[in-house]
Amino acid sequence: MNKKSYAEVSKGVKLLCVNSDKFKTNCIKVDFYLPISEYFPAQNVLASFMGHTSKNYSSVKAFNSKVEGMYDACFDTTVSTIGEKVRIRFSMEILDDKFSIDENSISEEAVDFLIDILENPNATENGFDEGFTAREIRFTLENLEAMKNDKRAYAVSRLRELMCKDEPYGIDNKKLEEGVRNLDSKQLLDAYNNMLQTATVVITACGSINGKMITEKFKAFADKIENRSPAILETIFVTKADEIKYFKEEMDVNQAKLVIGLRAGMEDANDNYFAYRVMTDIFGGGPYSRLFLNVREKMSLCYYCGARLIREKGIILIQSGIEEENYEKALSEILNQLDIMKKGEFTDEDLNSSIIALCDAFKGVEDSPVAVCNFYSSQEFDEEIVSGEEFAKRIGAVTREQVIECANRVTVDTVYLLKGEDENND
Amino acid sequence: MTNIKEIKNDLLKDSYFEIDHQSGFKIFVYPKENYSSSYAVFGTKYGSIDTCFKLQGNEKFTEVPEGIAHFLEHKLFESEELDAFARYAKTGASANAYTSFDKTCYLFSCTDNFEDSLEILLDFVSNPYFTEQTVQKEQGIIGQEIRMYEDEPGWESLFVLLRAMYHEHPVRIDIAGTVESISHITADLLYECYNTFYNPANMALAVAGNVTVEQVLKIADKMLKPKESKEIERKFCKEPANVVENFAMKNLSVAMPIFAIGFKEDIKTPLRTLKESMESNILLDIIAGPTSSLYEEMLNDNLINTTFDTEYFEGYGYSAHIFNGESADYEKVRERINQEITKLMETGVDEESFQRIKKKHYGSLIMDFDSVDSISNSLIGAYFNGEGLFDQLKLLESITIEDVNRRLKDAFNIENSSMSVIKNKEEK
Repeated sequence: MNKKSYAEVSKGVKLLCVNSDKFKTNCIKVDFYLPISEYFPAQNVLASFMGHTSKNYSSVKAFNSKVEGMYDACFDTTVSTIGEKVRIRFSMEILDDKFSIDENSISEEAVDFLIDILENPNATENGFDEGFTAREIRFTLENLEAMKNDKRAYAVSRLRELMCKDEPYGIDNKKLEEGVRNLDSKQLLDAYNNMLQTATVVITACGSINGKMITEKFKAFADKIENRSPAILETIFVTKADEIKYFKEEMDVNQAKLVIGLRAGMEDANDNYFAYRVMTDIFGGGPYSRLFLNVREKMSLCYYCGARLIREKGIILIQSGIEEENYEKALSEILNQLDIMKKGEFTDEDLNSSIIALCDAFKGVEDSPVAVCNFYSSQEFDEEIVSGEEFAKRIGAVTREQVIECANRVTVDTVYLLKGEDENND
Repeated sequence: MTNIKEIKNDLLKDSYFEIDHQSGFKIFVYPKENYSSSYAVFGTKYGSIDTCFKLQGNEKFTEVPEGIAHFLEHKLFESEELDAFARYAKTGASANAYTSFDKTCYLFSCTDNFEDSLEILLDFVSNPYFTEQTVQKEQGIIGQEIRMYEDEPGWESLFVLLRAMYHEHPVRIDIAGTVESISHITADLLYECYNTFYNPANMALAVAGNVTVEQVLKIADKMLKPKESKEIERKFCKEPANVVENFAMKNLSVAMPIFAIGFKEDIKTPLRTLKESMESNILLDIIAGPTSSLYEEMLNDNLINTTFDTEYFEGYGYSAHIFNGESADYEKVRERINQEITKLMETGVDEESFQRIKKKHYGSLIMDFDSVDSISNSLIGAYFNGEGLFDQLKLLESITIEDVNRRLKDAFNIENSSMSVIKNKEEK
């Protein structure tokens, strides 16, 4: 397979189109990357706003009818943090042109729509539309508050806040909510202009879609933006935790949620990434992992217990749902398994199971337009862009010594338990 | 004798193979050109609602503890020697299983070693091994799975609604059962359920992706031995048309009350036709979908947010149209939905909305055919319902506005509706 790379179509605007005629859909993702800044609350509202209304499709009905009219296109806007970069994503999944009932090109209509949304928000020169601003602030607040409904996600977000409180990554959710509540329509317009002028834009498309057409249209769009000056994007990598911090919080939960944050010891996102990936997988990846086999299968302490590597920040997160009375037991076994990783006492079978499973998964990554877009766009800030096949090769080359070395760079930073409320407090 | 039939679709330019295997099992193979991965599902038409049954010819019905189908799914992965996960660890496949109201499915996806992984799948599902000791160990793990779901308000709100709507039908019980009910599960009971539901007439295998019929048959011939097909009789108590209660509530810690409103259909036969369920999905979009006036009004009036959604919920012996979301004023939401339904019953559905929604459904039906997991799971689901995978595409064209208006009148009765609400303890 040819080596792929993003082409710069305009200043700080990169585009990659992966063509394939095996699909019945096309996918396009337009990502705006910005540093975490004072604009963050506004960016949260901005993404929601631009996903629901625009100058040319202002009402809910008009906007949704346009999207549905493109044969049930899946259109979505999201805000997330990738390491310490904010990513505002506009994504579209559409039916391939060959299924169009009339002669219209669905993909061209979709690209035009995306650009129209980006170019023509529902705003005047004084600010975003007042009524819609109020509504979108409500949606965003309700969405932020609703995180409490998902106790597992809530526990992870609390850990992140506590563990990284001195880093931009440790987003203070109360402050974020406060910031969103106090926004006005003018600030939204500022955040929009800031996004257009200072974001690094990464556009990824996959399917039979015409690459030349997308390139020309997005180039024309980007060239029109005045004073573009992409901001520097950096993430702080804390390589070592000095001591373990423990937190216990109470909520009305039936099952306690345990989250442990580890510093991987990575200097940056490319530092021994493939070896770290294998190490984390042996430790807490699939059903062959040390955590699954011991904490769940052998000790029957939980239904889920796993670990994942957050490459872009050099953090490993462990999550499990347990009975509160089993907290010490579960924690000590998890740490014991980490110790086994450090001492290299895992078996060759553990190593091979992990490598073979990861390789298998990456080789299949090019079987869906959405997966292709996610896979390639996630690599845009890496040293180089590699295919699923090449990714698998590099995973396959990881040795036992490299895994042990990575494990020995890991330090436990924060242990967080979300537990049920004390009965007496009722 | 193995019989192979090719089923083509001109619009998709795809085809799949329906195979009556010599062992008595039904097999489907859907090759996808230029795909690297494959996805296989081996399923049985046996889910959480099958709590009372007997084999034809037997005298007495067997009643089993709630959650046993799901428990069996967990235990089947184990064998006397290496468990299935340990075996898959050698092939690299990513394996899993799920139990729903009416089926249990075992699956894997892979790019390499497909044949070895298929062999593992067919082997462990065909060879149960349960002991009292391993059953006990699983009670701890599943107990924690149940406790995990107790903390998921969306899931809880569905079951509170189902218990408010259904008096007798076992759809009202949790799929995984309760910590109490699973404590009554024994190795013998697991064998009894296995021997009843895991037989060729009640099962099917579906594979999609980078595979050929020859590859699948090579392994099927080796692993699937002819087994007696058994006729199963399922016992369902008569379900009244009315609901148990119009309103039910449960306290959990949530940011905003979560609601689900269900319109219980008074059904005369256990199953809806495919056309009826497609009409239902079109109807739900017309009533309160993202392009409906009701949706926009409720958003503008601060009654709902973008989590609002609809679902047509049906299976053997149950059928309901469900609206769910988050709202501080859920009573008002219910009132608005009832008003809209009453209005539409009088005026009928408008032509423009109907055509728009039909075009939407045409798009979403085709879009599903890119994904090997969606294809394989749909093949199993369609087969268990007595349908073909391409039937929906063919049927969509034939659905008329009159059909949809008739379905509205048949399936919705405001009297027979319930609402469930999950909210904080403090809120009174």
